[in-house]
Amino acid sequence: MNGHPTRPEDFDLYALGVLEGEEKAAFEAHVPTCAACAEKLAEARGRIALLAFAAPRVEPSPAVKDRLMRQIHSAPAGFSRAVAGAQRERAPREPERAEGFFGRWWAAAVLVPVAAVLILVSVRLWQQNARLIDELGEERATLQKQQAQLDEARHIVALMEAKDTRTVALASQPGMAKGDVRVMYNAKMGMAMCDGWVDPAPANMSYQLWLVPMEGKPISAGLVEYSNGPMKPWMVKLPPGVEAKAFAITLEPEGGMPQPTGPMVLVGPVS
Amino acid sequence: MSTSDAALIQKIVQRDESALAALYDRYAGLLSSVLNRILRDTQASEEILQDVFFQLWRNAAQFDSGRGSLPGWLVVIARNRAISRLRRHNPSEGEELLETSVIVPSNLESAVVQQQLLGRVKGALENLSADQRAAIELAYFEGLTHSEIASRTGDPLGTVKTRIRTAVESLKRTLSP
Repeated sequence: MNGHPTRPEDFDLYALGVLEGEEKAAFEAHVPTCAACAEKLAEARGRIALLAFAAPRVEPSPAVKDRLMRQIHSAPAGFSRAVAGAQRERAPREPERAEGFFGRWWAAAVLVPVAAVLILVSVRLWQQNARLIDELGEERATLQKQQAQLDEARHIVALMEAKDTRTVALASQPGMAKGDVRVMYNAKMGMAMCDGWVDPAPANMSYQLWLVPMEGKPISAGLVEYSNGPMKPWMVKLPPGVEAKAFAITLEPEGGMPQPTGPMVLVGPVS
Repeated sequence: MSTSDAALIQKIVQRDESALAALYDRYAGLLSSVLNRILRDTQASEEILQDVFFQLWRNAAQFDSGRGSLPGWLVVIARNRAISRLRRHNPSEGEELLETSVIVPSNLESAVVQQQLLGRVKGALENLSADQRAAIELAYFEGLTHSEIASRTGDPLGTVKTRIRTAVESLKRTLSP
């Protein structure tokens, strides 16, 4: 998948966590690069998050909140305040005796530098740990992205080398938007690569690519990003083994439809 | 009128502990419920619950209220951590979600809205067939993928995919505003 996910509910399936393998990797490679898809994914995550309400209600024990509030006191940002608070608590319980006074001076002379060093070391370690976690996450994301790009490059090479791959040119229909799109298609592999250009779609509308099979209803091959200039080629996954008699691009409500409802803008028969 | 989530987040950024306590009171019940449903282990659930709110305390400045809903974000983080623990994945995977944006179609700050949503979500699930509901619950509460659900139920993979896609379409229709 180099373009947008092919069906609107793909975002919910990803948010639900059921996608796997190439399907998941391709999704993860595309979404970070596309603001519109990232927005749709955020909405899907929100819908799926609502399933949390289906869980039987279980209130946490009050001890959890107590532990949490103690934990934030011991976190680096609140450390100095915690020390100050502890000192305030201890003060009234200690009698004001002369030797105790000097004793506290000696104790302070030793403990304050030790505490300062401990604070510095703790903060340093905490920062280092946070940085390492961030770096690990970035490396993992980069690796996944590169793996997805490599997989896609392999698919493109396989598609171009296959003897039974066909190229279909889609031409503008009279009175419709101008465009010129080519589809390189292999029925056995269930894969197509598309490129070309098409005039911008009207507001709140999307262009959708369809495989028109020899028999049966058209199969959605995803949305088409319009462009006044040449578009970056994009890969499309289709059900393997379906022979096409034509490819077509129709104008549909934004986000696409399960079956074509709008006018055909570009059409190309498979010769 | 209660303070908004966004205002409480701002107070947390300024190290106001009472703001964290207020958000905890608002959402700990919801998170605790989903964690217990996933893990079926009170101690593990409470550890994650505490950890999620501690993460909020540490990283509140990174949370952009304009980009999404706090309770949605908390639920996503909590579920992700619980599934990670259940499946013995690397727990640090959850950290990536700091960048995650979650847009919830309702304002969950109000307890009344939460109560209404409870009814809507239960109604939406009851509208599904038994097979669809079971598949959605295996995915959401056990973190299973398409093929893992097929192995668990013994149904063909294609059937499971269609079942879940149809269920998701139905939930989307019912739960969208």
